[in-house]
Amino acid sequence: MSITSPTATWDTIQDVFYRKEEIYTMSWNVPDLSEYIISVGKNGGPIAMIRDDRLPLPSSRHSGKPKIHIYTSSGILISSIPWELNTPALMHFTITSLVVLSDQGIYRIYDLSNITNYKQYSLGDEIRDSGVVDARAYEDGMVVLTREGEFVEVKGWKGGRGVPMISSAPNEPPTSWTLLSPDISPTGHIQLLLSTQSTILTLDTLEKIDQRINRGPFSHISISPNGRFLALLNPTNGKLWVVSSDFSRNLSEVDVTPFGDGLPERVEWCGDNAITLGYRNGKVVLVGPKGESLFWEYPPSAYILGEIDGLRIISSGTCEFVQKVPDCTLAVFSPGSSHPAAILYDALDHFERKSPKADESIRSIRPDLANAVDTCVEAAGREIEVTWQRRLLKAAQFGRAFMDLYNPSDFVTMAQTLKVLNAVRYYEIGVPITYEQFIATSPATLILHLVSRNLHLLALRISQHLGLRPDPVLSHWASAKIIRSSQKGVDPSDRGLGDDESVCRAIVEKFEKEGEKGVSYAEIARKAWENGRARLATMAKLLDHEPRAAEQVPLLLQMKEEKIALEKAVDSGDTDLVYQVLLHLRSTLSPGDFFHILDDSITPKLKPAVNLLQVYARQADRDLLRDFYYQDDRRTENGCLEMEEAGQQEYAEERLEHLKRAAKSFGESKERLFESKMADDAHRLLTLQQTYERELEHKFSFSGLSVNQFIYKLILEGFNKRAERVRADWKVPDKRFWWIKLKALAERKDWEGLEAFAKSKKSPIGYEPFVTHLLSLTPPQPTHAASFVSRCEPRQRADLYVLCGDWGKAAESAKERNDRGKLDELKRKAPNGIAQREVDEVIRRVGK
Amino acid sequence: MPTSASPHVGPSRLHQPPPAPSTSGDSESTVPQPPTEKELDIGILKELAKSALVESLNDIQGAKTLILEPALGGPLGLVTEVALLKHQAVDKMFWLEPGPLNVNTRNVVWLCRPKIEYMRTIADQIKAQQSNPSPAGPLMHTILLVPRATELCRRVLEDQGVAGDVTISEFKLELIPVEDDLLSLEMDDVARDIYLNGDDTPIYYSSLALMTFQRAFGLFPRILGKGEGAKKLADLLQRHHHTDPAQYGDIESSTQVDGLIILDRSIDWITPMLTQLTYEGMLDEFVGIKNAHIEIDSTLIDPNTAPTPSPSTSALPSTPITKKRKHHLSSQKDKLYSELRDQNFAVVGSKLSKLARRLEGDYGGVKNLKSVSQMKEFVGKLGGLQSEQQSLRIHTGLTELLMPITKLETFNRTLEAQQNLVAGYDPNSQLNTIEDLMNQELDWQTILRSIVLMSLTNGGIKPKLLESFKRDFLQVYGYEHLPLLISLENLGLLVKSGSSVSTIQNQSVNFLRKNLRLIVDDINDLNPNDISYVYSGYGPISLRLVQCLTMKNQILSSSTSTTNGEDANGLGAGKEKPKAHPLNGWKGFEDVLSVLPGDNVDVRQHGEKRDNGLGKYIRMIPDDNKITTTVVFFLGGCTYTEISALRWMSKQYKGRRFLIATTGIINGNNLIESLGDNPPVQLKPST
Repeated sequence: MSITSPTATWDTIQDVFYRKEEIYTMSWNVPDLSEYIISVGKNGGPIAMIRDDRLPLPSSRHSGKPKIHIYTSSGILISSIPWELNTPALMHFTITSLVVLSDQGIYRIYDLSNITNYKQYSLGDEIRDSGVVDARAYEDGMVVLTREGEFVEVKGWKGGRGVPMISSAPNEPPTSWTLLSPDISPTGHIQLLLSTQSTILTLDTLEKIDQRINRGPFSHISISPNGRFLALLNPTNGKLWVVSSDFSRNLSEVDVTPFGDGLPERVEWCGDNAITLGYRNGKVVLVGPKGESLFWEYPPSAYILGEIDGLRIISSGTCEFVQKVPDCTLAVFSPGSSHPAAILYDALDHFERKSPKADESIRSIRPDLANAVDTCVEAAGREIEVTWQRRLLKAAQFGRAFMDLYNPSDFVTMAQTLKVLNAVRYYEIGVPITYEQFIATSPATLILHLVSRNLHLLALRISQHLGLRPDPVLSHWASAKIIRSSQKGVDPSDRGLGDDESVCRAIVEKFEKEGEKGVSYAEIARKAWENGRARLATMAKLLDHEPRAAEQVPLLLQMKEEKIALEKAVDSGDTDLVYQVLLHLRSTLSPGDFFHILDDSITPKLKPAVNLLQVYARQADRDLLRDFYYQDDRRTENGCLEMEEAGQQEYAEERLEHLKRAAKSFGESKERLFESKMADDAHRLLTLQQTYERELEHKFSFSGLSVNQFIYKLILEGFNKRAERVRADWKVPDKRFWWIKLKALAERKDWEGLEAFAKSKKSPIGYEPFVTHLLSLTPPQPTHAASFVSRCEPRQRADLYVLCGDWGKAAESAKERNDRGKLDELKRKAPNGIAQREVDEVIRRVGK
Repeated sequence: MPTSASPHVGPSRLHQPPPAPSTSGDSESTVPQPPTEKELDIGILKELAKSALVESLNDIQGAKTLILEPALGGPLGLVTEVALLKHQAVDKMFWLEPGPLNVNTRNVVWLCRPKIEYMRTIADQIKAQQSNPSPAGPLMHTILLVPRATELCRRVLEDQGVAGDVTISEFKLELIPVEDDLLSLEMDDVARDIYLNGDDTPIYYSSLALMTFQRAFGLFPRILGKGEGAKKLADLLQRHHHTDPAQYGDIESSTQVDGLIILDRSIDWITPMLTQLTYEGMLDEFVGIKNAHIEIDSTLIDPNTAPTPSPSTSALPSTPITKKRKHHLSSQKDKLYSELRDQNFAVVGSKLSKLARRLEGDYGGVKNLKSVSQMKEFVGKLGGLQSEQQSLRIHTGLTELLMPITKLETFNRTLEAQQNLVAGYDPNSQLNTIEDLMNQELDWQTILRSIVLMSLTNGGIKPKLLESFKRDFLQVYGYEHLPLLISLENLGLLVKSGSSVSTIQNQSVNFLRKNLRLIVDDINDLNPNDISYVYSGYGPISLRLVQCLTMKNQILSSSTSTTNGEDANGLGAGKEKPKAHPLNGWKGFEDVLSVLPGDNVDVRQHGEKRDNGLGKYIRMIPDDNKITTTVVFFLGGCTYTEISALRWMSKQYKGRRFLIATTGIINGNNLIESLGDNPPVQLKPST
């Protein structure tokens, strides 16, 4: 194809340039598209078509079972899928798969790379019975309209439940509707727009808003790619109404009746700029805002699809692309453009013709040279024709030569990108993606799509060319390789060792050659397993190459390699993974086998798993824990468990029971005789507390107190004899007992008792605590405290008296010890008034 | 007039031309401004957490009722204002606790850590809700698990039969910037999980959090550490880096961070057992700091809310009920606090009174105002003065709370025993002291901390003595502590002498005392010359190890005060600080490591090299003003004293700053408590 001028494809609507370029001459032999139900993937995606069996067909062309054919945009057949269900209500391409929904609510997801392997889901019995009228989809889900007039949302393509949108009563069927995907809806969640007889409704899972639009009803609602505008077609008066998507601004209203016979079949946006109408007879009309139009004919039929930056027209003969001429292209090529880029482009021409005008031109745009170069680079990206891409890049390069400083990265990136785009646009590949689309969807998405078409080598080279990680490509390749090699051999046993090994070696070698560490070997092993290649899956090479435990473990479990799974999980350090294995084993194995696997005396490596089992069982399954302790002879742990459970019992009888068991359990271990004794003591204590409570007719409560608290309370309540008994039974040391009794008597304010107690024998804790403790009470008891100072060590007395506030006695005791220094200190510190006089008095006497 | 107390606001100042509009800055000028060097901005982690939460909530369409795990309230409050959640259509909030729900929104969202007990509560609530459907139609249930959704939780929900009715999602709340030099995972009981139960979940979460950190700031060029857990964590970090190239493959080596030092709590149990003696440490020990918040009398925050006993209305002698309020201890909001928190408590009183005098001067200054412009200037200052006054009131109040505690005989005897024990001085008489204190029924946590300290520093306790201690302990505080004593034994914290564990411990402590200068005699509380000021004479082992790596000379020099004693507190104006040496390996300290338990970690990590190789050389060009950050990660929690000591270390050398990261902030009490069971329930009278 030779094109004389880049503007040869241009045309105008009201001074706005549009261009229509033929991308492919179709390789297929499809005389009439109108006989098919068609769906086309966005961003240069493939075409799916199935004969519309609702149309009467000449019997001669009847070719048996219906099939869905998938073609590239250039009309090359990729694959054919037998379709035995009713007419599809929806066909939809995601990046890597084709979703087909039957009118009975069954949908299948076909992996484009392996069409025989599909997943089938049902929307449930209710929908099967009522039937599906219509559906709309986006990348991550779809909305189905049932015959009952209910909208059901299906999120993700994982077979999740359909969630009804807010009840759409009154059950008036919409005359047309459209889906706003989350990226363009104002709420960030999907939204529906539906036209009814009387108005337009906005619907989502939460609410239904009546937009109060009475220009309807509309037969078509179409939202622009950026989500900001709506095109609505009223079939009764033939008016095409364009309005902002919140209905606040009217943009235009055009009568479309003159454009064709009857009403258009499809209303699609051409980018965000214009609306295109597709007619049944193959006429395509591009409508400008004031009703001006461009039209093209593709008899007998054509299919149009709006893209983010234009429109694809697919007819039996060609695939064409229509778009508003981008600004940068306009700057370079528009007739009479005085843009620096246009001058630069011109200058290159002069230069090549060795005309001095080249220099003149460059001079004239010198200050704008950077802008000119950038614009040429940008424009290069917008050209489909390689000739013009080259020419523009060359102009940019030419301009660069005249600049002192220029960052070449944009130029280099564009050249790289164009190389990729041209490669995928090649008709055998047939992905007519534009620069805008490529940027908007990311290179990774394109690679994903190529891989799903089994174009591994191309995808790999593109990844490397663009500096992307090759692992998604490689792992897909390996899976595909396994699948293909599995299909060949009918009987797996025929395949023999050699086959498994050669496949495995091929895969590992390839990965190592490409220097890739990040590939998920587990994913590949899973594919092998799923394809009945268990040996290949378990082959040390394949699964052991997988560094990520989280990926291997589920597969190993599936393959009943429990112990390896557990070891790998432990190795990973991811405790949740260990739990996952443990819980799986617990539910699939007998208790004996379960504990056997966990026997860490056999496999010390599994200790962390054993620990986690205990942590889990302690919270969630006490019986399991007890069984485990029992069979593993863990007496100490079991004793501790009983102790803990004792503490959680609300009734004494039960607590006693647990304490008894604790004592027994500890007692079974030689190392824990002391603990056994202690548990026994605890049992004895509670028993005695119960006894006393009974004896005292439950007027007092002792149960649960510690030995100290018990004695204290007994003394506090005046049961000294019983207190003595506890003291004796538990061999409470003197010192401790004195402290308890001191505190209890003080609390009782039993000063006589305290005095008697102090006198009963020489205090093992001395008498200072008597003083300090009485002073620490609220309110303090300085008088009573002071009465014990005389029993304290002589050298402490002065200070203790001071604490009691008795400065006179303090001075006296200092005097008794002939401690002149102390006396001086007291004199210094004593507050004015009586205290001061008392100290002075003593000092005076000393002075004598 | 005491105006001369502060040279900044003396009368002479008033004769100068009025300063630029920001007059309020004046009162703050007494705080020494740190040199404006570019430092790591960890605020981005807060933003990450905040936007993750907002995103998680926005993914759920419509009005929601949020049910929050109580223990998450605090951490959440550190990353976002809980009130702001209203913007994410959160209609009502409740605490997660057993019992039916009262919901009138379409969505119910639970936000909690992935714990089994919570899943059960949630399952019960969902079931109760389903048996009694709300008129508004079916509810949408979502559980946001922090920091990640686990298979375990899914399984528990499955077992409860509600897995199909609930969406499980996650909210990645990881390292929370508590202060600009402190990151915390704010997880509780980590030491118990890891060391006692052998549940390494916190190590795994730590590894994920540190990966996120590296995503933000670059790969740690070097990872150093000590201890079994540290080794596991370091291995995990490398494992993530190598095996998940999709997420972590393209991380470049950090230019701002020179390394990560992982300190495993199990290499230093001694430090948390000691009573912390810094202001912040004391507050945590005796009042309790939770998620950087402290509960104090509301009158301290705002004296106007003081409950005024009004005799006219109530005939009863009114005992004023002082309401408690949560107060955020933050150095950003409270300049005074940033000055006080790291000080030894001994000097806090004098600092406070100094400030009080200055404030009095500032307010007093009002009488000297002559012209309108002077008035204006003063009024502009008032805002600053008032907030200073408020923080002065709060800290004076808190100090008044702590002061009597430090005067208690029991407190001082405990302290003395602790210090003698770490110094290895006459252990037997320390045991007597501990028993004495136990006879007086001092709180059991303190007693256990002391006896553990004895066991750790003394190479265990003679079997007879230990048994009789345990017997007494159980009699005094209750037999329910028996499992706790066993746990302490299992951890090697309370062992018989003569056992293999105790012998090793004994050698280790003796060696460390000598070679890591654990005990420092001549410390200066006011102008500290060594990290040991945080314990009035004991330098934490954990930080001595950090010093081995970053301040070699401090360890090697046998004399304490000569190196840089004078300008050591960072306030020494004008004097040039010595330059930090690059991060060492453990070389030269092999003998120290050999006496500590667990593995040594020393790994170099290499980031993605995408540049043409020039970058490497550029980095090697020394830049005198460049500040490098060393991250110190405490696995198993750290104390406030350790934080203070690291802050002190940050100030010693030019060019290195420490960023403290931890699984949580602990003290000896909550550490010991976490190792035991829940307290027994109240017995009911039997029928």
